[in-house]
Amino acid sequence: MLVGALFAGLVFGLYFTLVGLGLNLVFGVMRIVNLAHGDFLMLGGFAAYGLFSAFGLPPLASALIVLVVFTLLGLPIYYLVVPRLLAARDSEMLSIILFFGMSQMIEAITTIAFGATERSLPGRLLGVGPVILLGQRLPSSWVYSAVVSAVAVVGVYLYLYRTRLGTLTRAVMVSRDEALATGIDVHRVSAIAFGIGIALAGIAGVFAPFMLGSVTPAIGAGINIAAFAVIVVGTLGNPLGTVLGGIIYGVSLMLMQTYLSSWANILPNLLLIAVLLIRPEGLLGRQVRRA
Amino acid sequence: MAEVLLAAQGIEAGYGKVQVLWRAGLDVRAGETVVLLGANGAGKSTLLRVLVGLMPAWAGQVSLAGEDITALRTDRRVRRGMAYMSELGVFPGLSIDENIRIGGQFVPRAVLGPRMTELYETFPDLAGRKRALAGSLSGGQRKMLGIAKALAAGPRMLVMDEPSAGLSPLFVSQVIAVLGRFRQSGLALLIAEQNVAFLDLADRVFTMEGGRIGFAGTVEALHADDALHRAYFGLGGE
Repeated sequence: MLVGALFAGLVFGLYFTLVGLGLNLVFGVMRIVNLAHGDFLMLGGFAAYGLFSAFGLPPLASALIVLVVFTLLGLPIYYLVVPRLLAARDSEMLSIILFFGMSQMIEAITTIAFGATERSLPGRLLGVGPVILLGQRLPSSWVYSAVVSAVAVVGVYLYLYRTRLGTLTRAVMVSRDEALATGIDVHRVSAIAFGIGIALAGIAGVFAPFMLGSVTPAIGAGINIAAFAVIVVGTLGNPLGTVLGGIIYGVSLMLMQTYLSSWANILPNLLLIAVLLIRPEGLLGRQVRRA
Repeated sequence: MAEVLLAAQGIEAGYGKVQVLWRAGLDVRAGETVVLLGANGAGKSTLLRVLVGLMPAWAGQVSLAGEDITALRTDRRVRRGMAYMSELGVFPGLSIDENIRIGGQFVPRAVLGPRMTELYETFPDLAGRKRALAGSLSGGQRKMLGIAKALAAGPRMLVMDEPSAGLSPLFVSQVIAVLGRFRQSGLALLIAEQNVAFLDLADRVFTMEGGRIGFAGTVEALHADDALHRAYFGLGGE
């Protein structure tokens, strides 16, 4: 049972890495907290549901569409909101208020448009029957979602460490002031990072019906708490630290569900409180935090 | 006389509602080295930030090679040949190689490659540690990297904010020696400093106090003025 929980934890960990990755990228580049992150994830779930219902599109095709559409959607949202926020004296606090409002708006509009009922997708869309890994049986939809999450993580790594724009993005993460002084077009770099951040949330949303069972317009808040636990454990502002946070979160969640199932729902809060009290800079803090 | 490369006139600027600069102005000619001398809080850094586009000017005009650049963003000024080295000067979390590449972000790859080779020949300490994080370098090496990063853009002029900050006298003399070499190659330099050792490089000096430009002239003229000499070199002279 323990080995099974650990395997399932790794699979869920990869998925929760994807859930937190975009939030951490946005925080790392802009030092703002996108409280609407969970709602963009929810929109990704509704997009997958809508594209399947209307056109029969499989989740992978929906994920590619969401990647493009959400990235492009992020650019105008960034330019409309973020430069004004960053010009303010207390941009981090203001961002919490502003994105909380945006979160409420997205949830309300989605509820009005589509209703509050749960939406799910058939598991067979991501393969039939369990996948057996080292003797452990896992639903194929979980493994599929974990593989997509791993591909997204590798994609973000390649973007940050193997492209010119990625190097400029890391420069902004290290020091926004120095980036400005060096002549980096900080808003262009940040807008692209914001677009990628919400696109990652959207892709996580596409697979949410398989990993979380269903999506409703109200899941954003709960997702945000889980995402915060993941990125605080992995180190705020360090996108690749999210992998560590995600794995720890996923394994802990599965162990809790296996041995203390009635307590599993408070895990994100427990992790957040424990890390903030014991090691507030995150597990990878200091060594690699800002790049 | 060489053309005026950078000219600033009647600059007023500040933070929030607090005015820091009062009708400040200076000019730098092509190939010339100008030192902006002043104590902490005199407004040197603020003036430099306005010149490079990091802060808006409330009033006044900045021009580069005759073009009004007052409203241009910093990246546009860098593209026009004006590089800026801040007090930090580098990205500590990035490698030496990445820092220099970022400095040359607007330069075509075909040009940047040979230029980086030249820079590594000029700064051999950096060449052997290309993949090391800039944050792992000593203060002096960081300044050298900051200079290499700024020069990767191939600028016509380099604006520097307190290159001696945090350095021991030995490293200060090394920085001055390196800048002297680039000065001879025709690079215009504008250096904001409170360390008078940098006057060894200067063709002209502007002094700054209380957000206003005081003296403007040659180093010899500065020495000849008793009050200024006492203010910047002390009672005993040099």
